[in-house]
Amino acid sequence: MGERRSRSGIPLRPYYDGPSASNGQAPPGEYPFTRGRKATAPEAGGWIQRELSGEGDPERSNAQLKYLISRQQAGIDVIGDSPTMALLDPDHPLAAGTVGTQGVSLCRKDDYIALFRDLPLADISISSSVPGLFALTGLYIAAQALGFKPAGLRGSVLQAPFYMEDCGYAVGMPFDLRVRISADVMQFCAREMPKFHSFVEDTYFFSEAGLTGVEEMALGFVEIRHLVREVLRRGVPIDRFAPRIAILVNCGMDFFEEIAKIRAVRRRFARMMREEFGAEDPRSWSAVISAHTSGLALTAQQPANNIVRGTAQALALVMAGVQALEISAFDEAFRTPSRESHLVALRTQQVIDLETGVGRVVDPLGGSHYVEALTDEMERRIDALIEEIESQGSPAELSDQGWFRNFFRDAMERYHKQRSRGELPVVGVNVHRLAPEEDTLLREVAEGKFAPSGERVEQIRAFKAARDPARVGRALRAVSEAARRPDANLVPPVIAATEADCTMGEVAGMLRLAYGRPYDPHGLLAPPAGAA
Amino acid sequence: MSRTRVLIGILGLDQHEVGAVAVARMLRDAGMEVIYLGCFQTPETLVRGCVQEDVDVLGISCHSWEYLHFLPALMEGLRAQAPEVAVVAGGSVLTADDARNLAGLGVAATFDAGATPDTIIATIQALGARRAGRLANLLA
Repeated sequence: MGERRSRSGIPLRPYYDGPSASNGQAPPGEYPFTRGRKATAPEAGGWIQRELSGEGDPERSNAQLKYLISRQQAGIDVIGDSPTMALLDPDHPLAAGTVGTQGVSLCRKDDYIALFRDLPLADISISSSVPGLFALTGLYIAAQALGFKPAGLRGSVLQAPFYMEDCGYAVGMPFDLRVRISADVMQFCAREMPKFHSFVEDTYFFSEAGLTGVEEMALGFVEIRHLVREVLRRGVPIDRFAPRIAILVNCGMDFFEEIAKIRAVRRRFARMMREEFGAEDPRSWSAVISAHTSGLALTAQQPANNIVRGTAQALALVMAGVQALEISAFDEAFRTPSRESHLVALRTQQVIDLETGVGRVVDPLGGSHYVEALTDEMERRIDALIEEIESQGSPAELSDQGWFRNFFRDAMERYHKQRSRGELPVVGVNVHRLAPEEDTLLREVAEGKFAPSGERVEQIRAFKAARDPARVGRALRAVSEAARRPDANLVPPVIAATEADCTMGEVAGMLRLAYGRPYDPHGLLAPPAGAA
Repeated sequence: MSRTRVLIGILGLDQHEVGAVAVARMLRDAGMEVIYLGCFQTPETLVRGCVQEDVDVLGISCHSWEYLHFLPALMEGLRAQAPEVAVVAGGSVLTADDARNLAGLGVAATFDAGATPDTIIATIQALGARRAGRLANLLA
């Protein structure tokens, strides 16, 4: 019989024992926080329960958010459609086939106001998977327009400056600009929105290339360290922004390894913040961790099985002590979540929370010989890989040379090989298959489609045509000028341009131009008259 | 017999690339010549690619619904400029209904999430061989 290994390749013993595995470990709530951020768990609702949402135009997404909040969702997380995620407006020539179908279409001030209208912005956490600069400026403007002070807002924006271009969210911006935008957002929020998580290191999306947990977190730490150094270089004290860094991790199917990964990340993060960066505030040491269950783990075959997968993954995450959780919905292989799958995913979290009691005690698996050994080994391997990656060159060089791109491609190929050879068993895919005529449960829901929104494209065309071109041109020129001055923060001029009815696509285009890239990465559009 | 040449691309703004990369590698490992165009393709870029690279088969990776928007123009372009090229489409979003609709548009084969590597390789190889045979007849 072959040696057994965890998903990341850690060789496993038949069983684990030895002296007390929790020997010498600090309790939860104390440095290095391996066992959890807090010493006690609340009676219920110990984590923010939410589901990724957004479809169609902002008004339709606003109704979707209200529906989820009415079903006791405690926070929101909005994803943009493909054009929005690529920083293109809905009237871009490549966008017509997809506007509003894989997320919400957002490109201007009015959109964010419509998206957030009548939501209890002071009481919920508002997170966004839309590229950080525009999610933040949109929220900032909408909150003010709707009568909320930005300084009181809680929530987060995702950042992935190193990897977005190579792994699913290419926006046509060079490395330096992507890093600058992230650091500008962090610096702006440290001053203006102190309760808001301005830097969520998003390891979820790139690990969906098929990375192991070790690879996911090593790449994540390489990015976090670089950004922290950059913000420190600008003179912001570490304890002013470190408490507002969070990490969004993936959770695949390897139950104990995923738990060990999160425990190892908390410890690694605490050591980095205290020992490497000299943070003194304990809130800087204890990583805030949110998680999505893996969409890659879900299957088009027998979609009902995905509910079981989401439940197992969510259980692991709750036992690992995450601060926020989203379950990828059972129709993931086909579409962004339907109303039905949204509700099942939210109810799964509520059943885990209120019925199973697994969250009653902090770190319920702490002291398990196996979990502690796996935690140590995950940390050791993550550390070793961080060192290996950093020894290859600077992140800018690695990005420019396509090193990251190749890393992700290799992972994609490896994952598919393991799946197609059956080395990675997936029920319904490479084992325990059903004939298509038998595979009918939930299929009708999963396969439901809706059309892209042609009206939305027309709406934005008409909106652009009706604006004052001189005002738009002035505001876009101000964005360009700020972009050409490395010491300027881009957030205020982007807010001003958005207030002046410039769109996301236009602002992003001006930023690209200022950094020597084409205004439109697809070569199909020119800047508005008066912006040059 | 010459090796089957396959062009692989993803239409529009869909950036789910995992499947396309994996299939490209799989076909290469099976001995085919693969030209990987990646994301952000349009009917025009794919038709141009088919002509310039003189491929036997065009593979479209579908992980959004954008193919529904682009496919009619793509098929029309191919009929005009590269009528011998066989089009196949693959991806987890493709349902049985989609497969019928795509066949109606002239797509030669559709691979849903359940398609095995052996099926995909054998189908594409057969399509490549058929085109090579037709071209040989034309020249004879």
